[in-house]
Amino acid sequence: MTINIVQAIFLGLFACLASLPGMGGTTIGNYTLGRPLVGGLIVGIIMGNVGLGIIVGAAIQVVYIALVTPGGTVSADVRAVTYIGIPLAMMGITAQGLDPNSAAAAGYAASIGSAVGTLGTVLFYGTQTMNLVWQGIGWKAMDAGNWGNIKKTLPLVDYVFPWISHILFSFLPTVVICMAGPTMVDLMKEYLPMDGLFMKTLFTVGSLLPTVGIAILCRQVIDGWQDWVTFIVGFMLAAVLGMNLIASAIVAVFVALINYEIKTIAARPAVAAGPALDDDDEEDI
Amino acid sequence: MAELKKTSDATRKSVFLRWAYGNLTCFTQEHMQTFGYLAAMLPAIDELYDKDEDKVEALKTYSAFFNTEPQIGSIVVGLTVGLEEARANGEPMDSETINGIRAGLMGPLAGLGDSIIVGTFIPILLGIAMGLSQGGSVLGPIFYIVAWNALMYFGMKYAFDQGYSMGGAAVEALVGPQSAALRSAIGTVGTMVIGAVAGTWVSISTSFAVQFSADSAFVLQKTLDGIMPKALNLLFVYLCWWLMTKKKISPTIVMLILVVIALVGCITIPGINTSFFDPGLSY
Repeated sequence: MTINIVQAIFLGLFACLASLPGMGGTTIGNYTLGRPLVGGLIVGIIMGNVGLGIIVGAAIQVVYIALVTPGGTVSADVRAVTYIGIPLAMMGITAQGLDPNSAAAAGYAASIGSAVGTLGTVLFYGTQTMNLVWQGIGWKAMDAGNWGNIKKTLPLVDYVFPWISHILFSFLPTVVICMAGPTMVDLMKEYLPMDGLFMKTLFTVGSLLPTVGIAILCRQVIDGWQDWVTFIVGFMLAAVLGMNLIASAIVAVFVALINYEIKTIAARPAVAAGPALDDDDEEDI
Repeated sequence: MAELKKTSDATRKSVFLRWAYGNLTCFTQEHMQTFGYLAAMLPAIDELYDKDEDKVEALKTYSAFFNTEPQIGSIVVGLTVGLEEARANGEPMDSETINGIRAGLMGPLAGLGDSIIVGTFIPILLGIAMGLSQGGSVLGPIFYIVAWNALMYFGMKYAFDQGYSMGGAAVEALVGPQSAALRSAIGTVGTMVIGAVAGTWVSISTSFAVQFSADSAFVLQKTLDGIMPKALNLLFVYLCWWLMTKKKISPTIVMLILVVIALVGCITIPGINTSFFDPGLSY
């Protein structure tokens, strides 16, 4: 699998749109284009292999299923994971001759995606530091207090100038790294044998990494041991009963409905004769 | 008395779209969503005040730091458009009151939005989408793109309109005790679906096996499967959760710990000639 400059430019543009904070906005940019599963479709179209793109995207998605960024601190950068990690993983899987549907391919994709994502946090800090310059222009206009000027400047500050940050910290890194990708992948294949310790570790880490993403989610939703029971029941639906995720989700909604009914009944004030007496009083008046 | 000042539907739509798109585009660590907020409020303030000095003065209110979960935060933006109308009509509403309300809401809403929207709702949608994309099917990503964007657009528009028309009561309904049962139910769906994701999309297996004689061997994976299929998935999820929650280790360091575990696990144990992990690949 090779990559030409036009393909790299498209990947670079999507990296600008999909970052957090990106030029596609939060809902469409970060939470749609920045999700590896969606990125898998887009990178697959750009690279001319949609099936492989989606398989790789889904494998990386598990690691980042709960990428919450409370207070703007990130442990991974979505543009790097999605628009650098997925193309590199696709090239690697093709070059190594792995079966795309195998657990090994998924492990390889997760390892590459996470490594790139962690290093990519540099891009996050670069972009937002450069945005300070544009905000500075905005503050200057605010302080000058000329409404006509403020009205013209603020939209530029929020919607246009940050593109410059992204050309430097999203577009260029994506284009350069993706263009160098095939060479790097070939070098890896040449110097690191598949049955050597390095590659064995790489694939094993790839199979372990999704548990970090799931654990981050558990940190959000699990408060006590009772919640672990709920979690394990969901786990068993899939692992023991072999249900797919849609079937599991329907069972989950059913359990949640029962839970909701019980909670609302419990929250209702105890039924007593009190309110009925009050009604009588009012009728007397 | 002059007639009451009111923002037009088109202006409110413009404020909403500006916020929905630009809430984080000019993000910095110092003033996270402040400029997204300022740029969004421009059309409303431009319409409500006549004199330029009043416009500048009103806009300055929103130069205070703002950061929340921006999608659920639409409700605050709608709310402040309503408050700004009240101020333009001469009601006793000053910058301090408006900013007090904004500051009081952004924390609780950030917590609510991060846990319900980002931490539960997105993973459920992604979990279903991943199930649909097995074998590389485009159905999965397309399902996510359509479902997420449609639900978010209408959800954010609804939150914005509710914030505008109901004022503080809308937010009270969202973070108040009435919604606790609903949030708990959503949490249950999330927990179970994530459990199912752990049982579907993770595949950790051990290659540890000791051959005693030609027809007798101890295969660790078989023993584990007898206890619970895919038990190692559960074990590692719990380990990562325990490291992060109980030991307060950051996700990045947890990833590094996993690298060390994988490296050690891949080393062949001398004497019995086996290792804990072996992807079993060759060129």
